[in-house]
Amino acid sequence: MSKSDKLQIWTMVEIHQGKADSVSWELIGAARNAVALGVESGGCGIEYDVTAVVIGEHVQEIAKEAISYGADYVMLVDDANCGTYINEVYQHALFEMMEEHQPDIFLIGATTQGRDLASGMAAQLSAGLTADCTQMVIGPPKEDMPCLLMATRPAFSGNLMATIVCETARPQMATVRPHVFVALERDETRKGKIVEFEVKRPFVNDQVKILAQEFLAQATGGIEFADVIVAGGRGIGGKDGLVLLKELADVMGGKLAVTRACVDANWASHEIQVGLTGKTVNPALYIACGISGAVQHRVGMQNSQKIIAVNQDADAPIFSIADVGIVGNLFEVVPEMIAQVKAMKSGMGAK
Amino acid sequence: MRHFVVAVKQVPDTTNIRIDPETGSLIRKGVPSILNPYDAHAMAVAGAWKQKMDAKITVISMGPASNEASIRECFEMGADRGILISAREFAGADTLATSYVLWEVLKKIHAEEAIDVIFMGKQAIDGDTGQVGPQVGARLGWPTLTFVNEIVSMDDEQGLAVIRRTTEQYRETVEVKMPMLLTCQKEVAAIPYASLPMLMDAMTKEIEVWGFGDPVAFEREKVGLKGSPTKVFRSFTPELKQMGEVLPVEMELAEKVTTAFNKVNLEKLLGVKA
Amino acid sequence: MSERRFEFDVIVVGAGIGGSAAAMVAAQKGLKVAMVERARVPGEKNYFGGAIYPHAFIDILPDFYERKPPLERPVTRAGVWMFDETGVTKIVKEGGALGETPAAEWVVLRSKFDAWWAAQAVDAGVTLIPKTVVLDFVRDDAGKIIGVQTDREDGVIYAPITIIAEGVNNLLTQKAGLAKADIKPEQCALAVKQLIQVERGDLEAFFGLHGLNDGLAVMTMGDSSQGLPGLGFIYSGASNVSIGVGITLNALVESGMSPQDILKAHLSHSVYAPLLEKGTLLEYGAHIIPEGGYRGMPTLFDDGVMVVGDAASMVNAMHFEGTNMAATAGRLAAETAFEAHQAGVYTKQQLAGYEKKLKKCFVYQDMKQYRNFIKWLDKHPHFMSVYPDFLNEVLDLFFTSHGKRKSKEYKKMLKALTRRRSLLGAVGDILSFAKAVLGL
Ligand SMILES: Cc1cc2nc3c(=O)[nH]c(=O)nc-3n(C[C@H](O)[C@H](O)[C@H](O)COP(=O)(O)OP(=O)(O)OC[C@H]3O[C@@H](n4cnc5c(N)ncnc54)[C@H](O)[C@@H]3O)c2cc1C
Ligand SMILES: Cc1cc2nc3c(=O)[nH]c(=O)nc-3n(C[C@H](O)[C@H](O)[C@H](O)COP(=O)(O)OP(=O)(O)OC[C@H]3O[C@@H](n4cnc5c(N)ncnc54)[C@H](O)[C@@H]3O)c2cc1C
Ligand SMILES: Nc1ncnc2c1ncn2[C@@H]1O[C@H](COP(=O)(O)O)[C@@H](O)[C@H]1O
Repeated sequence: MSKSDKLQIWTMVEIHQGKADSVSWELIGAARNAVALGVESGGCGIEYDVTAVVIGEHVQEIAKEAISYGADYVMLVDDANCGTYINEVYQHALFEMMEEHQPDIFLIGATTQGRDLASGMAAQLSAGLTADCTQMVIGPPKEDMPCLLMATRPAFSGNLMATIVCETARPQMATVRPHVFVALERDETRKGKIVEFEVKRPFVNDQVKILAQEFLAQATGGIEFADVIVAGGRGIGGKDGLVLLKELADVMGGKLAVTRACVDANWASHEIQVGLTGKTVNPALYIACGISGAVQHRVGMQNSQKIIAVNQDADAPIFSIADVGIVGNLFEVVPEMIAQVKAMKSGMGAK
Repeated sequence: MRHFVVAVKQVPDTTNIRIDPETGSLIRKGVPSILNPYDAHAMAVAGAWKQKMDAKITVISMGPASNEASIRECFEMGADRGILISAREFAGADTLATSYVLWEVLKKIHAEEAIDVIFMGKQAIDGDTGQVGPQVGARLGWPTLTFVNEIVSMDDEQGLAVIRRTTEQYRETVEVKMPMLLTCQKEVAAIPYASLPMLMDAMTKEIEVWGFGDPVAFEREKVGLKGSPTKVFRSFTPELKQMGEVLPVEMELAEKVTTAFNKVNLEKLLGVKA
Repeated sequence: MSERRFEFDVIVVGAGIGGSAAAMVAAQKGLKVAMVERARVPGEKNYFGGAIYPHAFIDILPDFYERKPPLERPVTRAGVWMFDETGVTKIVKEGGALGETPAAEWVVLRSKFDAWWAAQAVDAGVTLIPKTVVLDFVRDDAGKIIGVQTDREDGVIYAPITIIAEGVNNLLTQKAGLAKADIKPEQCALAVKQLIQVERGDLEAFFGLHGLNDGLAVMTMGDSSQGLPGLGFIYSGASNVSIGVGITLNALVESGMSPQDILKAHLSHSVYAPLLEKGTLLEYGAHIIPEGGYRGMPTLFDDGVMVVGDAASMVNAMHFEGTNMAATAGRLAAETAFEAHQAGVYTKQQLAGYEKKLKKCFVYQDMKQYRNFIKWLDKHPHFMSVYPDFLNEVLDLFFTSHGKRKSKEYKKMLKALTRRRSLLGAVGDILSFAKAVLGL
């Protein structure tokens, strides 16, 4: 890559089943946005190139896709050894790349895979790593300090927000929470340079053998990682109430969850219970149907990005943390939701 | 005789956290500290496998003297040896400095008594980073598997384990060679209720305390605040989720749903999905 | 598991006020003591108004104050607040005996105090076994109690003497054959309380306190229990206030009202508004107070076993005294256990010394004196509403002048009583109240 005077922001592209995960493009958007915000607040005048890192097998298309989502450069490793994600293999490849091209900032999606990769890299590079960020700005200079990545993240299960900086260690690393930042609009006409990188000393993995891998899109469970959750409480009145909610969840590509009241009445398994003695979720959208919103339930879902509450009791506590509340009978509201989502999707399909 | 090591952290009990709204910092006084819940389950699974095969368990924890309570809880679950790594120099460590200290300690233990499996929690509920495990694994160069929710089998002769883990994308079954590092979710094992002899022994069993100088000579600028590249620039309480609009029961049904969907710009979200 | 036998000289069940006291005294006398507590940390499960009376603790630890017990405020102002619907009459004494230091009564929070009090017992050599529940007794083939069975595997602990300090849920006291059944609803009160955090300045302004060495403890009655028989309380902590109401359980059940609604109604009284505005709710809780008094007491001892504190119904409901009784009974039971160990005899006859000691001290005498108080209160439920209302009305009339002839005013005052209670009835009430309180 030409030694331009610009500093580099690297963003990791996460690939599953030959497709790039949406967080990969949100990272590029986040990087551009962080630079723009910095400039607005009297930034330090340093210019940045954004370089997407694509590692895998048969991933040329994804490299092009990265350019269309706004990357100036792409570091591409396309090699059979990197077919499935093995921590040590990817870390070795990245380590070699970074020895040649010292990025100033390295952003990785805060997915399970991303957190592993970032942690391993940080240890090997003795770099600072801020976890699960939800706000980023490349801040104005402070006295003697150069422009820094100011990454803000939740701590103490969301009770406190902390803005973290790495003053000296480079690269400044951060994992970024999915579904928070916005990717740039895809634009095929964008120009960018793809740099093929050949791993000199590839890590030969003989320690880990993947016996089976089942993609969750089909499987049930995994509510802690779902983007959309439709949750039912005692208000669903019984097992058949769940069938209605499951239909809404399916049509939205989301997952079904319940309150403890439903588990205690054994309408559903503890596996999908949200709350203090259940799971903690932070989906992009949580639709609470027939849930009063007891504190022990709220503590498991209050960090959802958007919450819609459906309850026939206008002053049910759940409304106090909902972005929008619908006072009504869920057996009327949910079918209407299903209809509108179906209409929306068929409408979208035609666009 | 196999050798398991469990690294545990003592954390403030975040279910009753109080934050000082002005300074935006944690009110530590009066908040009880507990064994990190994920680490308790990591210890429980180590204890379970100790009973199934001939194994010995060492528990390590870096932190203030009060961490002893969490080490004793691990004794109740079957830990044989407890090491507290505690010194002024270690205070204020971020995950990089923490993983450095744990790495040096683990190397020392491994040299004396080869370690087969290191168990850690998925994450600590105060920092919520989940970085220390993979960082220690990367420093040791051992295969590291995170988000483990089941240990299917441990083959004593061949030094192999089969584990299951779930990520957002997939559920996978993986065979791993020892020595390895695993970070555990809660489903990996239930917390056992110790027998009375176990409880009584746990209360009096000796806990070794390793300081800054001995028995491991740490590099000063790599531990504690000095060894932490990340600094908290500023902390603040997140503005509480404001109560959104509540659409009254009288409002027409379809309009209510459309308004709600627009408010959360569902189309964009589904767009991403479709 | 190992065939290990856990042998002690004394087992104490419960690390509350009475339990830690008993264990501490036994250990001070050189006995090997095991104290079994179901909470992770002693005090976690305990809840009260309330204030302690150091005299009972100093009998056990002469250097009580030097050991820095976690005390909130000394009680330097004590009295009664009588509520009617819209007003309140505050009769509060300060200075005099209440001004002496160290104070005779201190407001505490149980989660802090009990943990400290149990730590003093451990300090004295007691083996505290936390997170463990005693389920039953272990008996020899002659049926004598020789130990306890806990809920843990291999969880038997042996000792010639067990002291039950399990608190008001007297399950083990029944299993020991000392009590026949659960406490009857008419022999106990359900108390509901809110602990509210208030900036020190606001708290002191509201109650008229000056600094941390100034504290208030008042009994509330009248409208506070929404017409049901019961007593309420207010205790000022360092920067918190406890406000609670206790209702006799049978009256509560008959009324069909829920305890928290009664407390909520009471807290909505105008007098609290300026305080609650500045306060944030820290916690709310409820606990049973045994009020059966002398008549409600179980048999206090049998072969190898004694019972102390709430489990033995040792509470003086009139004066809100329970912790001093539990601590004193704990001490006396431990002294008896020591004497039994010296004699090497653990029979009922030997342990009768416990009751003899109790009869000589205030615990027994007060219990006897107030033995009819609860039954009286139950028979005169109007007492709690008629007289506070009457008093409020009289004082309203007395302290407001509208240029009317005073003689007319006095007639109104008399009517304020006779409207509610005939003169004869009132005199009868006063006499029977005096009888119940003086134990005649
Ligand atoms: C230690 C502890 C741990 C706990 N852990 C958890 C936990 O992990 N997760 C959890 O969920 N709970 C937990 N709980 C229980 C929690 O306190 C609440 O009891 C529970 O969450 C209430 O469940 P719910 O909202 O479904 O039922 P309810 O509180 O009964 O609420 C039902 C709601 O449905 C509404 N409704 C009824 N019919 C309709 C209708 N036809 N249309 C629309 N609305 C309707 C009602 O107005 C009501 O608001 C725990 C409790 C304790 C003490
Ligand atoms: C609302 C209220 C206000 C009060 N106000 C006052 C006041 O102002 N002043 C005052 O002096 N008194 C007051 N009291 C009374 C006082 O709280 C009790 O009398 C006193 O706490 C009795 O002490 P105890 O040791 O008998 O029982 P507790 O203090 O209740 O202790 C019992 C202990 O035993 C443990 N335990 C129980 N069963 C088992 C088991 N099976 N295995 C293991 N552990 C077990 C419990 O966890 C607990 O720690 C008040 C009570 C109430 C409810
Ligand atoms: N100070 C510490 N001492 C021992 N183990 C720790 C410490 N901090 C973190 N760990 C381990 O690392 C895991 C992840 O912690 P974190 O990366 O801080 O979320 C924890 O669950 C522990 O197992």
